[in-house]
Amino acid sequence: MSQRTANPSGDSIRKARKRDALSGYAFIAPYFAALFFMMVYPILNGLYISFHEWDILGVPDFTGIENYHRLFTDSVFWSSLRNTLEFTALSVPLLIILGLLVALALNESFRGRSVFRGIFFFPYLLSISVATTIWIWLLQNRYGLLNYYLREFGIAAPDWLNSTTWAMPAIVITTLWWTMGFNLIIFLAGLQDIPEQLYEAARIDGANPWHCFRHITLPGLRRIFRFVIIMQVIASLKIFGQVYIMTEGGPFGSTRVLSMYLYEQAFTYFRMGYASAVGYVFLVIVMILTFVQWKIMGAEERD
Amino acid sequence: MGGNGFKYNLVFVWLPKLALIVLAVLWAAPVVWMFVSSIKPEAAIFTLPPSWIPRNVTFEHYQDAMQAAQIFRWFLNSAIVTVVATALTLVLNAMAGYAFARIDFPLKNLLFVMVLATIMVPVETIIIPLYLQFDAFGLLNSYTALILPRLALPLGVFLLRQFFLGMPRELEEAAFVDGCSRFRLFWTVALPLAKPSMAALGIFSFIGTWNDFLWPLISTSTSRMYTLTVGIATLQGFYGTDYGMLMASAFIASLPVLIVFLLFQQHIVQGVAATGIKG
Repeated sequence: MSQRTANPSGDSIRKARKRDALSGYAFIAPYFAALFFMMVYPILNGLYISFHEWDILGVPDFTGIENYHRLFTDSVFWSSLRNTLEFTALSVPLLIILGLLVALALNESFRGRSVFRGIFFFPYLLSISVATTIWIWLLQNRYGLLNYYLREFGIAAPDWLNSTTWAMPAIVITTLWWTMGFNLIIFLAGLQDIPEQLYEAARIDGANPWHCFRHITLPGLRRIFRFVIIMQVIASLKIFGQVYIMTEGGPFGSTRVLSMYLYEQAFTYFRMGYASAVGYVFLVIVMILTFVQWKIMGAEERD
Repeated sequence: MGGNGFKYNLVFVWLPKLALIVLAVLWAAPVVWMFVSSIKPEAAIFTLPPSWIPRNVTFEHYQDAMQAAQIFRWFLNSAIVTVVATALTLVLNAMAGYAFARIDFPLKNLLFVMVLATIMVPVETIIIPLYLQFDAFGLLNSYTALILPRLALPLGVFLLRQFFLGMPRELEEAAFVDGCSRFRLFWTVALPLAKPSMAALGIFSFIGTWNDFLWPLISTSTSRMYTLTVGIATLQGFYGTDYGMLMASAFIASLPVLIVFLLFQQHIVQGVAATGIKG
C-alpha cells in the first residue's frame, strides 16, 4: 500500500517512507523486548536445558537426548499422560455440551435473564484457589454438602478426594462448575450472530424448535464450535491448579497430570533438565492435538 | 406461540425452564454455602443435617483469617501486579498491533508470524527456563517477576492488529499528509477509536492476571510476596480442616470480584466474549 503524499518529489517520498519504517520498529520494540526475554529466549533455553542433567546447584551436564529417552520408559510419565487425557476426555464434552445447552436456554429474552447468566458465569471469575477451597469443603466425606444429599437420596457416597476412582471425577465436577460459564458466554455471543430472520422463516414453514436447532443453530455455530473445542482441549490439557490444590496428584498418583508431574520433577526433585524435557513433550502434544482437530474440523467445514 | 398445544409447551418451554432453574440453583449453591459456612460457629459446621440458615452467627472465622493469614498483603500484591501488568499490556499491545496493521517496514510479516507462533506455546513449556532466568538475576519474590512474563502474551497484539486493520485508512491519511508524526497519529486518531477493543482486552488481561496461579506459585516463596490466589491456596495446607476459617478467607478473596462483577456485569461479559480465549 503506498501512502499518498502532498509532495510529488520521489526523493522526499522515499525519505518519509524510511522514517515511517523506522517508527514501525520503534512501535513494536517494547513488545518485542518482552516477547524475546519472556518467551522466545525461554523457549530456546528450555530446549537447551532439556539436553542436560541439572539439579540447579551444580553445572548442567550435557547428556544429549537421554532425558527424552528416559521419558519414554518412565511409567509415571505415561500414567500422567493417561490421567491428563482422561481428564480432557471427561471434561471437554461436559463443558461444551452443558455450556451450549445453557446458552440455548438463555438465548431468548425473559425477565431475569442476566441474573441467570450472572449465576453461571460468576464462578469463572473466582480464582482457582477459591473455587477449589469451596469444593474441597463440599466434597468432604462426612460433613460435606454433596455427600449429605447423596446419602439422603440413598446413594452410597464415595470419599471423593481420597478415592483412586472418584478423585478424578471430583476434579472434573469442580472444573465444570468453575469454567462452564466461559463457554456459555462464547456460545451466547455466537447465537446472537445468527440472523433472527432465519428462525422466523423456518417457523412460518412450520418448523419446530428441534428442527430449528438442527438446521439453523448448529450450522450457524460451526465456527464457534471449532473455536470453543480447540480452546477447551488446550485448557483441559493444561490442568494444574485443581490437581495441585485438591489432591497433589494423589491418591496414589491417580490424578497426577502432566503439568503436576512437570512441577514435581522441577520443584520437588530439582531435575531441571528432565522437567524441561517434559515441558517440551507437552508442547508437542498440545500442537499435535490442535493440528489434528484443525484438520478434522476444517475438513468438515468444506462440505 | 399461542397456537401451540400443551405437549409442545411442555417439551420446548416448561421443561427447559425448569431445568434451567434447577441448574442455576446448583450453580449458586457452592458460593452461598461458602458464605453460610463462614459465619457458623465451629460446632455448627460439623453438624448433620447441615443447615442453610445458621442459628447463631459468628465472625470469629473472619478474625482468624485476618490474623493468621496475610490476606490484605496478598490482596495488595495481586492488585499491584494486576493493575501494572494490565496497563503495560495495553500500551505494548496497542503499539505493536498498530504497527503490524498500519505501518510498512521490512520483515514485518516474518515478525508477525513469530508473534502468532507463540500463541500455541503453553506456559508449562517455558516455566522452568523463566524460573532459572529470574533466579539468576535474583528477582524471584519480586513484582518484576510477577509482572514481566505476562507482557509477552501475544493475544492482545493479534486482537488489536485485527481492529486497526479494520479502521478506515482515510482517517489517518489526511493527518499524515499534514506532516503529523506516527506517534501523534496513533495517539490522537487511532487509539481513541480502539477504546472498545482496548476495554475488552483490559478486562481479559485483568481476569487472567488476577487468577494466574502456576507462575506466581513458582516465582514466589515468601508469604509476603504471594498473590491472593497463591496465598489462599497455601492456607489449605496449614488449616486443612478449619473449614470456617477457610471459607471466611475464600469469601474475603472473592468479595472484590463479586462487587466488581455486580457493577460491571455487562462490560465484563462482552469483554470476555470479544476476546474469547481461555487464559
